[in-house]
Amino acid sequence: MTVVLAHADSDPGRAALAAALREAADHAERLVVVDATRGGARPTVADLAALEPDLVQALRDAGGEVVVDEGSVADPSDAVVQVAQRYDARLVVVGLRHRSPVGKAILGSTAQRILLDATCPVLAVKPA
Amino acid sequence: MLDSALTALGSLTDPSLLVMLAVGVLAGLVIGLIPGLGGTGAVAILLPLTFGMDPAPALAMLIGALAVVHTSDTVAAVLLGAPGSASASVTMLDGYSMARNGEAKRALSLAFLSSMAGGIIGALGLTLAIPLARPLVLSFASPELFMLTILGVSLAAVLSRGNVVKGLVAGFLGLLLGLVGTSPTTAEERFTFGSLFLGDGLSLVAVALGIFGLAEIAGRVSQRRVTEDSVQLTGGWFSGIREWLTHWSQVIRGSLIGIWAGVLPGVGATAGTWLAYGQAVATAKDKRKFGKGDPRGIVGPESANNSVEAGDLIPTLLFGIPGGVPSAMLLGMLLTYGIQPGPAIVSEHLDLMYLIIWSFAIASIVGAFLCFLATPSLAKLTKVPFAVLGPGLLVVMLLGAFQDSGQLGDLWIMVALGVAGWLLKATDFPRAPFLIGFVLAIPMERYYYLTANLYDGAGWMLRPGVVVFLAVLVVPVLWALFKAWRKRRATLDEGHRSEEVLEGGDELEGSLANSVWSLSVAAVVVGLFAGAWLVSGSFSEEARLMPRLVATGGLVLGLVLLVQELRARSGGRRGPRWTPDVTTAVRTFVLMGVFLGLVVVVGYLAAVLLFVPGFLLYVARASVRTSILYPIILGVVLLALPSLLPVDLPTGLLQ
Repeated sequence: MTVVLAHADSDPGRAALAAALREAADHAERLVVVDATRGGARPTVADLAALEPDLVQALRDAGGEVVVDEGSVADPSDAVVQVAQRYDARLVVVGLRHRSPVGKAILGSTAQRILLDATCPVLAVKPA
Repeated sequence: MLDSALTALGSLTDPSLLVMLAVGVLAGLVIGLIPGLGGTGAVAILLPLTFGMDPAPALAMLIGALAVVHTSDTVAAVLLGAPGSASASVTMLDGYSMARNGEAKRALSLAFLSSMAGGIIGALGLTLAIPLARPLVLSFASPELFMLTILGVSLAAVLSRGNVVKGLVAGFLGLLLGLVGTSPTTAEERFTFGSLFLGDGLSLVAVALGIFGLAEIAGRVSQRRVTEDSVQLTGGWFSGIREWLTHWSQVIRGSLIGIWAGVLPGVGATAGTWLAYGQAVATAKDKRKFGKGDPRGIVGPESANNSVEAGDLIPTLLFGIPGGVPSAMLLGMLLTYGIQPGPAIVSEHLDLMYLIIWSFAIASIVGAFLCFLATPSLAKLTKVPFAVLGPGLLVVMLLGAFQDSGQLGDLWIMVALGVAGWLLKATDFPRAPFLIGFVLAIPMERYYYLTANLYDGAGWMLRPGVVVFLAVLVVPVLWALFKAWRKRRATLDEGHRSEEVLEGGDELEGSLANSVWSLSVAAVVVGLFAGAWLVSGSFSEEARLMPRLVATGGLVLGLVLLVQELRARSGGRRGPRWTPDVTTAVRTFVLMGVFLGLVVVVGYLAAVLLFVPGFLLYVARASVRTSILYPIILGVVLLALPSLLPVDLPTGLLQ
């Protein structure tokens, strides 16, 4: 099975990365990382290993692996859902950040769209 | 109203109108196949042929072409993976993948049928817009019409993709260029520098073909890569047709998105198709196959790109503000016939409105049908490299621009604007606001003059229509500022659906942004507006008003742009100095200049016979056989043309 992470280089994004690595290690699964920022650079496995060296090692020791992939559609949330469907993922992990009521009213949210559109369970993680 | 609709349909039984419609459809299909021309190229190339025609056949021809351009542009996208127009690059995502799986016919039949339905639904939307907008339009007086012209230019600038300041600068440049010539209120000559030929203003065809057409040729002649990966036309037509019926809701949704994108000025077929694609992905539950041959990824965008052109016509005909570049040219054409879009067209020329609608619907059906019939042979045409098509297109475009005034000066201006258009494209300026500004400059001035004279003081600003338009004008500006402010605060998770181009359809677009080139463009812009401000000081008070306003606005924005550029430079973001694209463009424009020089000396026909083989051999590196046969055929066509159509060839000094 597979866990898909909606990756963003932010506090909630890093919290989500840690949670996703633990989830994948628990089940000795593959973690597929998808960039969920607009126009953001696609992360490399080395970048991720630098962020969470211990957890990545733990996942590898457990027999899992980390790979980076991307969808073929422009919108980041659609891309995450698309990749999750292509891998038939067990779980999608997203980071949530605090948003003011006004911010919620005016602007949408990538995380929210993933929550609503995903066809598998979603784990939402907040930064500590 | 039904009366006029039926009368218009009746008038289409007139064989001469039908012939014109058929000519338009055929021309539109061929132009759609050629990369980079699209609706703009179709109207610009056909427009010169309509000089001297009555309005009805002229409209039938132009609308016929406009309605089908986006039907055939799919062929290259699906079979070659090289889109015929920027808007077809969306179809490429799923269409080309489907074709590589041996289902090219399935992809094409989905696309053709969707294009047809998009055209028909677009025509329906146009029909429904007339009774809805009619009472509104009839209540408009000059203050509202003045506001509408401002709204047209500024919305086009704000809604165009990318930097808003660049869009507004382009709009102001267009306005400034539109003011060249005789002032409509005082009959003074402005910005003509004593030249008699500039007194009439610049020719619309020359400006449009320069900014878009020649710039496109210069940007693309370097592309010689073709047929690397071309796909055989396999699969069954009928499986696609049957499948298409099951996606009817995508067709309707795509078409409605297209109409809406068309109505908004500056949001053209490209943005419309991306919106439709995004919508299809977002609403699909199973997203797995998007980008790898999902039929819904073809149906939605293909419906949208045809209905965009119909949607464009709604604001153009009813309010006199063009929704896009092709309709800006149509507007210019209607104005030369003395048909004032807006109140006049819904009260006096309703039959023409319905003629347009019928032509659009009929052309969509016929165009799709012809595409089914002719695709096997059309597919061959898409394999001709652009470098070989380039000189032929150049010859046709220059000849077209010559028909407007019969002055060679127009052609020099066209090449100069071609350079400008190329620079704007490479430094990421949207060009639609430029042309919309150019077309609307004189109406804007005229309405302002009427408003200022008919109403005391600023009382007209309080008319309800004007207040609404002011709100429409201010809200997007505030929105843009708010977005910019948010972007600076938090780069992450803006959360709106993004419809950005996934893999740029055009490599040139914006390739020179933040470079020494864009810096000099900004500097030249500032210089131009400053010069215009100084020169306009010598005009009488009434003639000075508009140029001063435009120059002041342009100057302020130009300075903002200059500061942005300098900041980007000091921030370490530096674009390329010199790229192979620049070399090709410089070479192409120099050759265009040489060609015009030849025309001045030896006349058009001889110049073509000298220039085209040279171009083919040295720039396109075509085979010797092509380089000899091609100019001969072109020469024969040029010889025969004046006897078939009302076309004049420029004569040289030696003739």
